[in-house]
Amino acid sequence: MNTDHDPAVITAVLMAAEGAINRSLELDPASARDLADLSGTVLAVECWAPALEVFAIVEADGRLHLTSYSEQPCNVRVRGGLSDFLTLATAEDPAVTLINSDLEIIGNSAPLIALQTIVAKMQPDWEAPLVEVLGDVAGHQLANLLRQIFRWGQTSSQSLRRQLSEFILEEGRLSPPAAELEYFYQEIDTLVLKVDRLESRLKRLAHRVDSQIQ
Amino acid sequence: MTDKTNAESGETTHFGFETVNKNQKESLVRGVFDSVASRYDVMNDLMSAGIHRLWKRFTIELSAVRPGQTVLDIAGGTGDLAAKFSHLVGDDGKVLLADINDSMLKVGRDRLLDSGAVGNLHMVQCDAQMLPFPDASIDCITIAFGLRNVTDKDMALRSMERILKPGGRLLVLEFSKPVNPVLEKIYDTYSFRILPMMGQLIANDADSYRYLAESIRKHPDQETLLGMMEDAGLVNCEYHNMTGGIVAVHRGIKA
Repeated sequence: MNTDHDPAVITAVLMAAEGAINRSLELDPASARDLADLSGTVLAVECWAPALEVFAIVEADGRLHLTSYSEQPCNVRVRGGLSDFLTLATAEDPAVTLINSDLEIIGNSAPLIALQTIVAKMQPDWEAPLVEVLGDVAGHQLANLLRQIFRWGQTSSQSLRRQLSEFILEEGRLSPPAAELEYFYQEIDTLVLKVDRLESRLKRLAHRVDSQIQ
Repeated sequence: MTDKTNAESGETTHFGFETVNKNQKESLVRGVFDSVASRYDVMNDLMSAGIHRLWKRFTIELSAVRPGQTVLDIAGGTGDLAAKFSHLVGDDGKVLLADINDSMLKVGRDRLLDSGAVGNLHMVQCDAQMLPFPDASIDCITIAFGLRNVTDKDMALRSMERILKPGGRLLVLEFSKPVNPVLEKIYDTYSFRILPMMGQLIANDADSYRYLAESIRKHPDQETLLGMMEDAGLVNCEYHNMTGGIVAVHRGIKA
């Protein structure tokens, strides 16, 4: 697949992403071990908009290599738009998201789901590099503080999402609830069917009237 | 054509913007690289703001080198490409780091030894125009920022084509012609004003870095180099512009 992007720019982005992922894997040996089991797996990600092709290759030491060019045969190729990939990347249940999304999968989807599950379950030990630089006491205290901030951020974002959803659906009535919307769609479907039936009855009636006049 | 014949016939070539006798260029280029060898990597990082690492990484990706293959890195200098290839070809493969310049090769050898890249790496001091390897013996050849310093580029390309195995690939990473006129203007200012100044400040050698800038301008542009590779007998030749065409990587396959 040819893209108009400057290879140097793509390489820079991939190098940065690869560095961040592999650094996180160094801090989470369990995930690195799980990833090493997928050694040799080549995953191709083909994005239509923006036009981009990226290969993720799992190396024997459990590291991930990201590249914009590969001649190795792919185990699985995923095609789709950027929004589909973002939905998959943040999905709680990647298998369900894969089935329901517009992503096109060519090849064996098992390594793709395994890879996504590993990434989603990653729990890097951020304390290790801090202790290395700041020492046991200060490193541990800072890590605790960061953990608390991270936990607070997670809880706050979940709470904000829930409250926002309640406000939009229940208090502001700015958007109908999913069940109400589903019922509305069902009613439209029923109405469409009834209109279709009425149309065919009218056609039949018109045909009968025409034949009686003649 | 031998040096003696060159001297007798008075054939000339360019050394930066200067016109010199063909048999003089090799020693003049050697002088430049003897002068910059010890600070070559630092200067590369400074001059390109580290982007040369991205250009080289993409070149390695295009090489698609596999374990067990033999790779020749011509004008390999301080060995950054060779170190990566050494990892890719593994214990069953072989990487030949070649450079005409003794000073650069010594810096590369020391650096590779220090980084632990040993076993499948071999150093060869040789001229790219007359590569001392058997016909059809190499799977992949790379020459990064080296071809513009070669006196007879056509001869060098033919020599590379000769030693490639059928299906083997040649990758030429070299400065080229920016595709955007505005970028070209900025690049010219940078090359002829800032680059020699940086050379003077960091390496205490403005002349060598002025030569680097001039030699880049004298180097064939993307399409010309593509034609030269095809003339040398390579097929399926193509190139990828990087950083707006400041650098291009050309790839050709031995039929």
